[in-house]
Amino acid sequence: MANRIERKSRLGEDLLIFWGRCSKILYQYVVVAVFLLGAIGVAVAALAANWLVRPKRPVAGAKGETYECGLETQGPTWVRFKVSYFLYALIFLLFDVETVFLYPWAVKFQVMGWFAFAEMIVFIGILVLGLWYAWKEGALEWK
Amino acid sequence: MGIWQLLSVELLTAALGLGLLAVGLLMPGRERRGLAYVATAGLMGIAAVAWAMREAQGVVLNGYIIDPFGTYFKLLFLASAVLTCIASFDYIGRLPRGEGEFYALLVLATLGMMLVASAGELITLYLGLELMTISLCILVTYRKGDMKSAEAGLKYIILGALSSAVLLYGLSFIYGATGSTLLEDIGRVVAREGVKPLLGVGIIFVLAGFAFKMAAVPFHMWAPDVYEGAPTPITGFLSVASKAAGFAAFLRIFFGALPASHGLWAELIVALSVLSMVIGNLVAIPQKNIKRLLAYSSISQAGYLLLGVVAFSVLGVGAILYYSMIYVFANMAAFTAATAFFNEDGSDEIADFAGLARRSPLLAAVLLFSLLSLAGIPPLAGFVSKFYLFVAVIGQGYIWLALLAVLMSMVSVYYYLQVAKAMYFGEPPAGRAAVRVPLGMQVALVVCLAVLFFFGLYPTPLTGYAFNSAMVFLGQ
Repeated sequence: MANRIERKSRLGEDLLIFWGRCSKILYQYVVVAVFLLGAIGVAVAALAANWLVRPKRPVAGAKGETYECGLETQGPTWVRFKVSYFLYALIFLLFDVETVFLYPWAVKFQVMGWFAFAEMIVFIGILVLGLWYAWKEGALEWK
Repeated sequence: MGIWQLLSVELLTAALGLGLLAVGLLMPGRERRGLAYVATAGLMGIAAVAWAMREAQGVVLNGYIIDPFGTYFKLLFLASAVLTCIASFDYIGRLPRGEGEFYALLVLATLGMMLVASAGELITLYLGLELMTISLCILVTYRKGDMKSAEAGLKYIILGALSSAVLLYGLSFIYGATGSTLLEDIGRVVAREGVKPLLGVGIIFVLAGFAFKMAAVPFHMWAPDVYEGAPTPITGFLSVASKAAGFAAFLRIFFGALPASHGLWAELIVALSVLSMVIGNLVAIPQKNIKRLLAYSSISQAGYLLLGVVAFSVLGVGAILYYSMIYVFANMAAFTAATAFFNEDGSDEIADFAGLARRSPLLAAVLLFSLLSLAGIPPLAGFVSKFYLFVAVIGQGYIWLALLAVLMSMVSVYYYLQVAKAMYFGEPPAGRAAVRVPLGMQVALVVCLAVLFFFGLYPTPLTGYAFNSAMVFLGQ
């Protein structure tokens, strides 16, 4: 029983020390907080000043149209997309990431030797298996 | 030992998973049933390799630890994967499509769990956890077109993503506080500098993330719905292996790398354990669905397992290892029996189990004994495993906790016996034939029963193995 009480009191001490350290670290972060508030303040002040001094004319004519952002929309824009888009996107992403890994490998290919070559073959093999699976299961067909 | 030899279990599992996927593509749809046999045989072969490596020790590339502790968990995952495969034969065979992927995903989920159990580095750990969770997500939604399965999948993916995010956030704090993702280095830094507040925050987040995986109250809310909606064999796999993976990772991080921070999380674990035992057992009482009943029972089992963490000793870790292995066989037996019943009658309601003893004595007996083992009634193995856990916490002075656990075990006997009452004293519905149980499933069920009785009467071999692994793990 005594053992248990001792353990309890040790826990209390631990907590006290813990909070003591907490407050010390929080104090160090005050500089960061001041800096953050300053940064936000400058941005808000600039936007507010802009809004105050700018001329206020109603939006009319060509000014209200979509500007340098693609074509004008035809028909309602809230349509359902075919789920195949997502399958395409996933497979695209897969090979995108593969490319990211292939570049550094290709650059350092001669230094790293056969082990890296075999490793990359295994990696590509697994991805090809995935593509094969997607193909066979009809993820690439547009029906 | 060379790298190849140390990694042989994981490499073989990865090869099996990818091979199943590839072979499944080459086979025409109707013949894919054979894949089930390939998967089962393959997993058994890998289990044999893992058994041969049970004493192996070594570190691969600093961040991947092969030790008896990890191999013990790998054997546990493989055993539950084999039982899940056997339970799935008919269940998945009846679904319209997708048998090839099913077994490949099951094997890949097992691979993820193995990575979790052996990871000595935070990013490897996270990778394994995600491989496991994402594979299980797909498996949970396998009953395409079934609303409950879809609901289960949605809940599992959203709450799984949430728990992963919480865990990852905590891991990033730990990295920030210690400057390393290697558990060994983290342990060294913490032993030298003590627990900094930043590290404390990280530890609490990681604790919450793992509690999600273990389904401990108050992080359990996903479990009942997901367990109910998922295909029954997968529910068994989820409740057994995914929970064990959570405990493996938890022990590795908190006992292996962060024992210096024990004072910070000890009381939190006591709270988790008490809440899980009380709420899991009490809410299980009014359940009408066998899967929901087993879901709440598995929440309470997480509470018992956490007792071993509370004990924070070799005895505690050994008891967790022993308990989780016995839990695999008891719970998988119960879920396999429920699967066999579902295949015949298409129902999970406990009321429909009425008179099962007359329609299939084997199923009723297996369900009875596995539930009694979960409740901890001697001479079944569940009694021995609970006994070790209680002894471990009493050894640390938590007598009230052990008393509460015993009390809650008594509560659990009540709802487990409700099922037995329906099976043995209920009248079978008129005109229902005997339940057909396929041969493979019969063998699996009998093996599970044999394990429960054998280790209940003569626990020494498994105890020795579990406690030795715990001792090597804690370096004593």
